[in-house]
Amino acid sequence: MRRTSLVIVSLVLALVGTACQGSGDAGDPIKIGIIADLTGPFTTYGTSLSRSAQLAINEVNEAGGIDGRQVEVIVEDIQTDVAATVDKARKLVQSDNVDLVMGPIGSDANDAAYQTVVQEGSKLLFYTETYEGGKCDPLYFSFGAVPAQQIRPLIPILQGQFGANAMLFGADYVWPRRSFESAKPIIEENEGTVVSELYLPLVAEDFSELVQEVRDKQPDYIFSLYPAVWGAALKALDDAGLLQDVGIGTIFLGDPDYQGIKELAEGSYTALPFFTVAEGTGVQPFLDAYAAKFGEGQIPSGGEGVGAYNAVYLYKQAVEEAGTTEPSAVAEALVGQSFNGPTGNVTMTNQHHLQQTINVVQGQNLEYVLADSFPNMDPEEDCSL
Amino acid sequence: MTEPDITHEEQEAGVSPGSRRRWPTRGGLVEGPPRAPGRKSLRIAELALLGAMVALPLIVRDSFVADRFGRYFLLAVFAISVDLIWGFGGVLSFGQAAFFGGAGYVVGMMTTRDWWILPVPFGVALIAGVAAAALLALGVSYFTFSGKGALRGVEFAVVTLAVSVVAERLANAGGQITGGQNGILMRSRLEILGFSFHKGFAFYAFTGLLLIVTYLGVRRFVASRPGLIIRGVRENEDRVDLLGYDVPGVKRRTYVLAGAIAGLAGGLFFVHEGIVSPSAVGVAASTLVLLWVVLGGRGTLIGPIVGAVLLSYLTASLSGTLLDTWLVVVGVILVVVILFFPAGIFGFLTREGRE
Repeated sequence: MRRTSLVIVSLVLALVGTACQGSGDAGDPIKIGIIADLTGPFTTYGTSLSRSAQLAINEVNEAGGIDGRQVEVIVEDIQTDVAATVDKARKLVQSDNVDLVMGPIGSDANDAAYQTVVQEGSKLLFYTETYEGGKCDPLYFSFGAVPAQQIRPLIPILQGQFGANAMLFGADYVWPRRSFESAKPIIEENEGTVVSELYLPLVAEDFSELVQEVRDKQPDYIFSLYPAVWGAALKALDDAGLLQDVGIGTIFLGDPDYQGIKELAEGSYTALPFFTVAEGTGVQPFLDAYAAKFGEGQIPSGGEGVGAYNAVYLYKQAVEEAGTTEPSAVAEALVGQSFNGPTGNVTMTNQHHLQQTINVVQGQNLEYVLADSFPNMDPEEDCSL
Repeated sequence: MTEPDITHEEQEAGVSPGSRRRWPTRGGLVEGPPRAPGRKSLRIAELALLGAMVALPLIVRDSFVADRFGRYFLLAVFAISVDLIWGFGGVLSFGQAAFFGGAGYVVGMMTTRDWWILPVPFGVALIAGVAAAALLALGVSYFTFSGKGALRGVEFAVVTLAVSVVAERLANAGGQITGGQNGILMRSRLEILGFSFHKGFAFYAFTGLLLIVTYLGVRRFVASRPGLIIRGVRENEDRVDLLGYDVPGVKRRTYVLAGAIAGLAGGLFFVHEGIVSPSAVGVAASTLVLLWVVLGGRGTLIGPIVGAVLLSYLTASLSGTLLDTWLVVVGVILVVVILFFPAGIFGFLTREGRE
């Protein structure tokens, strides 16, 4: 025992003797860290986010960088896992000493990244995924769509096409629940009625409850926030012979997801910032550049990709205006910046959420067709910085 | 099937010829099994590990790397708690993360919520978190280890699996109390009585010491008389019972101790993480810790430490470099170890690991 305590004492002394070391940054390239779900359930979205950001960073570097400085990008896979998000975000902030962190996908991971990057590390966090909104911090910026932006244009279309009786169907977590809270007043404003509100587990195995509810309440349309296994839910409705008589609207089914369930999604509407059929002179060049860099047939998904692409350019403008990469100075310069991106003009509001174009598409003859386009949608976030 | 030298009574008690033969004939349980042949190599392994722990920060001199390993040390403490109850007590539990993550939740709620006397300082919340984990362990073990319906082996494992599932569901559905799917963002830092060890080298030193203290403490416990009884329970529960020992009581105390250790590690771990979310208490987390123990060597105490640190380190570094294949690589390593070294990497170190 005595020998053990001697060893412990020497361990303590050794540790006390070790000094912390800082790291310099002046004159080096600007470093952008990306935390993306490159493996796990969110692979499609994480990959789209990471690739689109890298595409924009490449373009910026080829055009001379940001304020003459090249941009170095460090991509970390967070495995669709909260613990991995904390670990990788810490690595980027503490070890790589990045100037900006972009990502992740899940809203629990977003909380974790916010805690690590903003609260602990005092660095900028750019979140580019469609989410429930509600985060408000001087160093936090959202570039994806938030509920009001997608729901406000979509609801009148659904009511006009299908009728006034809405069923709200969502996965049981924060994004659907908060989005439906935003949807209810908008449905009322349009003189519609919510006849049913149903939540099932994120990955349900049995949809008989959904089928029963649709039979009983006979909604004119289902407004769905059920992203993970949406195809299975549609299949259950189809098997029960109900899909013919009920309209469908979603705010998550981007192009890559749509490809897999085209037949079932026939006639259904989706509202997101980006679709390959979106209008605007920027869409085709963006798609071409994406396919050229990552392979023929590769397409970015509906929100996170174009969000990340816009975010890189807005960051460049803000750094050049601020004349520094110091986070709070960049944050200040970022508010009010506009950029003409793939889907048209976007502007960073003082709510730290992005004003942007929202497109609504419908599945027709197994292809997405643009139904309508809504430029400059306000995020309507309760945040003023 | 029955060998002739097994008596009828023994058969009734479920004694199998194999386990009977392994038992030392002279003195039996109280004197314990003969000295483990691996004692010397165990000492060498302990010193090597200690040397590595001291050398790492001196060689790397990167505060983030130290921080990362400090994190792994807390996971190693968690693994030790599983080895105590499973490796030595023979009680397989699929619910150990309920104590680890549960304490994280208690600390999170007590340091962030604004209600009654809350929020309280971190030190107080940590004590409450450990107590809550111990109480939960007592609750789970109170009815399951004793009485007519006493559960053993697979039956108990299934109950703990249910504990995990329920814990994860509760955390998800807890609304404002648990923060639902997003969990709780911590506001407190690792700081007790003005001494901060929240990150970097201070965190490394603190968790390193905690790991050493836990290791020595548990090693002492399993070598003690109650430890001997619990090891006896693993070998043959009925026999220990017939010898007049309070088997349910010993199992319960060990289970509560393991729960408290897991709670201590969890309370510290999740404050350092900055967030605790439902996956912290779930089945996946409970299963992962079992893998660390299996990989390192069940019943060796030192093996689970190496298993936890090694597998966590591999996962973190491989997932960045081998995007599509890292899971396969980790899986292959596990399969190879389990096929060719069923006693784990350090299985040779102690007699216990040799089964």
